[in-house]
Amino acid sequence: MNLPVSHILLATGFALSLIGLWGMLTQRNILRIIIGFSLIDTGLHIVMVATGYITGGTAPIFDRALKVSDATIRAVDPVPASLAVTAIVIGFSVTAIMLAFAIRLYDAKKTLSVDALTESKW
Amino acid sequence: MVEALLHPLGIFILGLGGGFLIPLLYRIAKPLPAIAFFLALAGMVAISGSRLWALYNGGATIEILTAGFLPPATINLRFGPWEGFFAFSANVIGLLGAWQLWSRLRESYAALLLFLILIMGINGMVMTRDLFNQFVFLEIVSVATYGLLALGRTPAALAASFKYIMATVLASTFFLIGTVLLYYVTGILNIDDLIEHRELIGGPIGTTALILVLSCLLIELKPFPANGWGLDVYETAPSGIAALVSVGVSAGVFFALFKLLPLFEGQLGIIAISGGATFLFSNLGGLKQSKVQRLLGYSSIAQMGLLMMAMALLERLGAQASLPMVVGGLFINHLFAKAGLFWLAGAVGHEQIDDWATRRRPLVLVFALLLIAISGLPPFPGFWAKWELVMQLAASEQYGWIAVVLGGSLLEAAYMFRWFRQATRASSVRSAEPGAGRLVPAAICVIVLGIAGYFAASTANAASAWLLAPVVAGGAIFLLDWLPGRIKCAILIVTVLVVGAWMCWDVQGLSRLFAALLLPGALVIASAGFYRRDIRSGFYPLMAIMLLAIAGVFRASTSLEFFFNWELITLASYFLVAQGRNANPHTLSFLLFSLVSAFFLLAGFAVAANANGTTDLAALGKAGRDAGPAFALLAIGLLIKAGAIGVHVWLPDAYAEADDDFSAMLSAVVSKVAIFGLFVVTYLAIRSEVGLDLAHLMGWIGLLTTLAGALMALQQDDMKRMLAYSSMSQLGYIITAIALMSHLGWVTALYLVANHLIVKGILFLAAAAVILRTGTRLLSESGGLARQMPLTFAVAVMALISMSGLPPLAGFGGKWLLLNAMIGKGWYWLAVLGVAATFVGFLYMFRLAYVVFLGSPKAKAAETREAPLQLLLPQFVLVAAILALTFFPKALMEPVSMVIDPYFASTLVWQGMSLETIYGYWNPIPVMAATTAVAAVLFVVFWLIYKARRARTGRSEVERFYAFYKPVLGAFVPPLAILFWKGTSIATTGVADAVRRIYTGNAQTYALYILHYVIILYVIGIYGGNLLNWVR
Repeated sequence: MNLPVSHILLATGFALSLIGLWGMLTQRNILRIIIGFSLIDTGLHIVMVATGYITGGTAPIFDRALKVSDATIRAVDPVPASLAVTAIVIGFSVTAIMLAFAIRLYDAKKTLSVDALTESKW
Repeated sequence: MVEALLHPLGIFILGLGGGFLIPLLYRIAKPLPAIAFFLALAGMVAISGSRLWALYNGGATIEILTAGFLPPATINLRFGPWEGFFAFSANVIGLLGAWQLWSRLRESYAALLLFLILIMGINGMVMTRDLFNQFVFLEIVSVATYGLLALGRTPAALAASFKYIMATVLASTFFLIGTVLLYYVTGILNIDDLIEHRELIGGPIGTTALILVLSCLLIELKPFPANGWGLDVYETAPSGIAALVSVGVSAGVFFALFKLLPLFEGQLGIIAISGGATFLFSNLGGLKQSKVQRLLGYSSIAQMGLLMMAMALLERLGAQASLPMVVGGLFINHLFAKAGLFWLAGAVGHEQIDDWATRRRPLVLVFALLLIAISGLPPFPGFWAKWELVMQLAASEQYGWIAVVLGGSLLEAAYMFRWFRQATRASSVRSAEPGAGRLVPAAICVIVLGIAGYFAASTANAASAWLLAPVVAGGAIFLLDWLPGRIKCAILIVTVLVVGAWMCWDVQGLSRLFAALLLPGALVIASAGFYRRDIRSGFYPLMAIMLLAIAGVFRASTSLEFFFNWELITLASYFLVAQGRNANPHTLSFLLFSLVSAFFLLAGFAVAANANGTTDLAALGKAGRDAGPAFALLAIGLLIKAGAIGVHVWLPDAYAEADDDFSAMLSAVVSKVAIFGLFVVTYLAIRSEVGLDLAHLMGWIGLLTTLAGALMALQQDDMKRMLAYSSMSQLGYIITAIALMSHLGWVTALYLVANHLIVKGILFLAAAAVILRTGTRLLSESGGLARQMPLTFAVAVMALISMSGLPPLAGFGGKWLLLNAMIGKGWYWLAVLGVAATFVGFLYMFRLAYVVFLGSPKAKAAETREAPLQLLLPQFVLVAAILALTFFPKALMEPVSMVIDPYFASTLVWQGMSLETIYGYWNPIPVMAATTAVAAVLFVVFWLIYKARRARTGRSEVERFYAFYKPVLGAFVPPLAILFWKGTSIATTGVADAVRRIYTGNAQTYALYILHYVIILYVIGIYGGNLLNWVR
């Protein structure tokens, strides 16, 4: 079976994201919800990297081994990777903030259940 | 040098640099962060403001390149007119918001930092031209928002923040994946390149990616029903933060959607539908809200929905030329009005609407002006934007969308002004009042909105000295509001005389005639204001606005000018009615019926403008056959305002509870503006076939109004309510006379207008005198005042005779002309109805005169004195006018006929009798004899019936006569209309309650709604494109 690694990555990434989404929607514990978000995010990062991959490609560094004219055929696209790096940083800070809120919520309510967050409605 | 300093890139340097510096400065000295913070914010305002000013004066769009490469190798930003407008507005809001929120922000330097980063992030969202950079700025804004939300310390605020975070991280995840997949498909991240190579975005992945990006932006704008998380944050966050989320963050997201819109050509229909649904359902849900900030949240969401809808529709209809007016106008209107309201809510500090109770002038003034703005009423930019939007929709015959815009606006006005009613009600408990300093940011919002309104008016080519005159004059008198009431009354009269004359000097035809009748009449009645000794704060400025806007209606040559002044009259009269001591509970229905009326007019004018190709009022007269719908809409609007049967329920309460002298003004003068409108739009009907049938219908409506009004007047024990119903009844005659659409009918209508103006002026002023001297409005508590108040008695009797149509006074001529015209037209049944109504009219009018002045004297009658001269003089002037009308009818008839002649020259329904013939026809003696005989016979019949079955009580014969007939005649007028409107109101709020139940408060339910929303968007966006083709 000749399955390119990028496809495996794509499948893994999307699967992780979907598991994360499922977690966000079904888990009652706020920490688990945050973990769910983390999974979505991580899965997406994998997807991002995978979209730039070219089977048998090399690092996008122009030297003797890689001519500029070959760039589009042989080099891995560096842009998705750089996007992924940025996205990781952003995801990190968002997760941190969510955890900070989780701490405050626990202090205020002595519970981590998401069902306790329904003061305001209608 | 200065150029370089004011480069837009400086905004980011200030934001990021300030952000990094603040923790450092905090280590050095405590006050430094605050200084750096305000310097940075002020710098952002200065840069964006100066660049925008340069662009406004024809400067070139600034392209900002980074890292020394050309795009797409690097990120680039743009600062064009649109970007400048959004960025500058957001920065001003940032600066004012920081001022408002200062007490919270000063607590920690981290808050200052986050605030600065947030404002910078919004600028970035507006200016960037790179899709991934768009995502980064979105996340910067989001993270800063999350941090600021943590300033809210209550458990509810924390909980709401967490829901907000859950929802927005999902949304930004969609954006991220969409961006990456778009890059995967096209290899492009630059927005301009993406738009240029739009065709590359295809296939399942490309389309999915596009829809995911769109989903994120729409969800961030909080579409119905995936928006509960937004509402919860608006409710619980500190008001300053809620304001920032509502206007600042939304501005950034909206602009992102706006600049990416060329990518979403295929999804415009679904954007419009989603926006329209959000506007409608959010405003519906707002009806049931009891908390101030949640109410404002519903309104915020609705306004963003309206913006989405307007933008998508204009784009789809190819009306991009209107985007600056509509989107720019609605945007700036929402931005400043909503921020101001949130700040005001924060300054007052009461969570529940019911805890608001204030009559402090500056607060009420700012509050009222912000509410006017948010409701899209003049003179603020929302008014001009909505007008333009409705015109554009009508031009493409999108009538369903017009209904959405107007229906949603009505609901919004309903809950906004319900809040105002609660806040200004008479209450023994006065809430703690914020200091004047805390109102300043909200007050600045009002000023900005005023300036923006002026710009919008210039853009609409409507800004002219006379159009602004009412507002300017009102504002000037308001500055003198500290003067004693009588001095202000004198200032008012002089102002209206001078400015009104200047405005109406050159008008011609019917308008001139109305101006000549109503403005002097208004001045005479206004002079009765001298009888009040108190300061009456706010009364005279509003009166000036109202009277000059009435002059403006006569001056108007386009439907836009007409409508602008019409709305001003509505607003000014609403606030004037609200000045009545017990008026508070009745003001809302007055305003809502007035707004419904105005919205019918707006729709009608839009349809007419589409049919005629111009908003010129004169063009109404040349309208083609398809003017029927326009006439129907306009006539409905005007009939509501004239208090026609069925939609009259607002009228008695407003007339009865307004200040006594203002009731006279309402009935005598303000009601005639609707009549003037009927004259103007009736040209439409003359030209179109369908209109003539509608006119016949209008004739019936008129006389049924007359009869019902008279019957209800007979039921009243409150003399002002009786006069109110009487006013409704008399306007019915005028409506019928106009509906006759003949020369004679119109002469009659104008004659009746003059007569009713005079008569109701006298009667309401006489009632004011009786109330002043006896302290009661109830007929059952008054009696026998003829001896104590002989002059008031005399003028009231004169007025009653003239109104009843008894010979020999002026009213007789009017009634006689009307009957004659109806018979001439072959409307025999209507003539019979008219006679019956006239007879019932006799009954209540006689009762009024008899009970108050002749009946058995009540307790304190002996101590009562004659009315003060200030009240009597205007009445004497009006009596003189009755006599003039009686003895020299030609003085009125001739100009009237001259004015009307041209309209009927070509389509003369009546056989072209000359003026002299009319008078020749008018041989008073036999007619007088016949009328008196009929009245006498009817009276004898009634008397005999009564004698045969009379009830035995201890009262005088006349009183017993009325006691017998009141219930008998009352059976003809069951309170159907009141029941109907009450039912409508209950049903609407019931639906509103059902709608808001979808917001369960559960974070995961909200997340699920988001998922469903995206899936539906996806399905419709991909497969349903053809379904939405009816949005052309």
